[in-house]
Amino acid sequence: MDKQQKTLAVIAEISGRAAAEIKPEMELTADLDIDSPKALRLLLQLEDEVGVEISDEQAAAMHTVGDILEHIGER
Amino acid sequence: MPCAPETLVEALERTARLRPQGGIAIFDNRGRHYQRHTYPQILERARAAGAQLAGLGAGRTEPVMLSLGTGWDLIDLWLGAVCIGALPVNIAPAMAMGTGSAQLKRLQDTAERLACRVLVGSEALRKTAAQPGFETLHRIAVSVADVRQTVAQPAAVRAHRARHDDTAFLQLTSGSTGLPKAVVIPHRAALHNTRAIDRGIGAPLGALASEVLACSVSWLPLNHDMGLVGGLIYALTHGHDLWLISPKTFLARPQVWLRELGRHGAALAPAPNFAYQTCVERVSADQLEGANLSLWRSALVGAEMVQPRTMRAFSERFAARGFDARALQPCYGLAESTLALAFDTRGAGVRTRTLAAGPGEPSEVVALGEPIIDTRIEIRAPDGRTMPPGEIGRVFAKGPSNFTGYYNDPAASAESLCDGWLDTGDLGFVHGGELYLTGRMKDLLIIRGQNIMPHELEWCAEAVTGSGGTTRSGAFSVQSADQGEQAVIVAEVSDPDPAQLGAISREIRVRVGRELGLPLADVMLVRRGALPKTTSGKVQRRELKTLYLDGRLERVQAATGGDAG
Repeated sequence: MDKQQKTLAVIAEISGRAAAEIKPEMELTADLDIDSPKALRLLLQLEDEVGVEISDEQAAAMHTVGDILEHIGER
Repeated sequence: MPCAPETLVEALERTARLRPQGGIAIFDNRGRHYQRHTYPQILERARAAGAQLAGLGAGRTEPVMLSLGTGWDLIDLWLGAVCIGALPVNIAPAMAMGTGSAQLKRLQDTAERLACRVLVGSEALRKTAAQPGFETLHRIAVSVADVRQTVAQPAAVRAHRARHDDTAFLQLTSGSTGLPKAVVIPHRAALHNTRAIDRGIGAPLGALASEVLACSVSWLPLNHDMGLVGGLIYALTHGHDLWLISPKTFLARPQVWLRELGRHGAALAPAPNFAYQTCVERVSADQLEGANLSLWRSALVGAEMVQPRTMRAFSERFAARGFDARALQPCYGLAESTLALAFDTRGAGVRTRTLAAGPGEPSEVVALGEPIIDTRIEIRAPDGRTMPPGEIGRVFAKGPSNFTGYYNDPAASAESLCDGWLDTGDLGFVHGGELYLTGRMKDLLIIRGQNIMPHELEWCAEAVTGSGGTTRSGAFSVQSADQGEQAVIVAEVSDPDPAQLGAISREIRVRVGRELGLPLADVMLVRRGALPKTTSGKVQRRELKTLYLDGRLERVQAATGGDAG
């Protein structure tokens, strides 16, 4: 699995949706029910499983699946 | 012959003398390593930090806002402020993803309400506050590094002699109207409440908790009363070891909390229902190999409605690790009573009563125990008369742990505190000498242990529905059996074009999601004027919730295929 696919897998696990259902334009909270506690888990799992670190500042600007994929894609 | 301590600093000085090896440890993000300081070291650090805060201009009786995560900087500065008679007030630092601007707004509003001149936050906060609209914040915000580099004024620490009735610190709350306020806690109340906590926790154990328990393990944020008073201040004044995990670490790795509870001798932990529920959802007994949870003698549960389902599931899961369900100890309190008002004292675990319930009301309620020492609890009808046992009314309390008022807000103080009696804003009844809660009068949402003020959701909704303030909204929480409390917004729309409704409803969800990190259980759009209001135009949230649950509100319909909410 490449990084993008791994990222989708992590988001799928945390949101409880199938990876295939997750679209880049989806809002993390409004569409995937990812509240603050789940967002923290997401950040940590992305670090552990995808190997990409996301700082608090970078995280504060991420609202959609696409925002995360963009960040991952650059690394 | 030393006198009993009259102030928090005296209490810490006594702890440093009597328990020089005791102390506080703070875990890192992975929950593997910790940084520990003994009580004598903590005292010394506090005095140094106080001298630096004084050098920065923090004045006696003036508030100092601390927007920092769990860590030694926060503890040093909090205690440092107390050492110079400044009033520390902890406020949450930024949350996780995409929640920047709501936090900035909250910080600025609070700073203006408190006329605060010093706010210690992260470097990032200072930079972010440089944008238009946040001039107050930009002016008063400093970083920890700024504080550490200030020329210290140790004389300010030496010269300061607090008295029993002086204000020790402030706690932020939303009170009964849902608008942010700062609860004034004098030394007298803080010391009384921690003594009451020591007795309350210890009652089922037949002794003072600090005599039989070796440590406390807490992950609660220090900007929350249960974390600050039940975790930090209780340990500082009573000398047991405190193991601190940041809320972030707990949420990322909840097993760390449980692991530590089974490791350091007889332990106590304060936590909201949400913490126990998180462990049920995410921690298996296998992950805790080697942990001996029979050491966890007091599993306090409070700060939000106790869910019997969660308690049962938790007990079953962790029995395999020695957890005894009788360790679960419900309790009740609020920032206005410093922290604690009532504790279960029977030591028989979670006990419940079944009620005939209306829509949205719990049918199984949990015994929260007896009032703390020197304190009376009364249930009152709307007209003020005391209600007999078994009948539901508003919970009032009077005792030495009560706050003295809201900072800079005599009107709000007068509403909540009358003749020494605190109107808690909660609903409940007394039976067999024990308190049971059934609901809440005050406009507050408590979602996953976090206090959320309805106006913040309403601002988001009204930013979307616009109309120059002629369309209003109301936010409240509803209780679901398996999800606990969830947020609902009902918003008026003017000229509801069916084609627009789906987009409006979605936009509200997106805004609330981005600004507050909060998913919504429902967004209901209604005609303009449909929300119940007072004669002055204020939305009556409680009445709105009743209408919503009774199905007496009419949802405006979207065009076919759309979602009106």
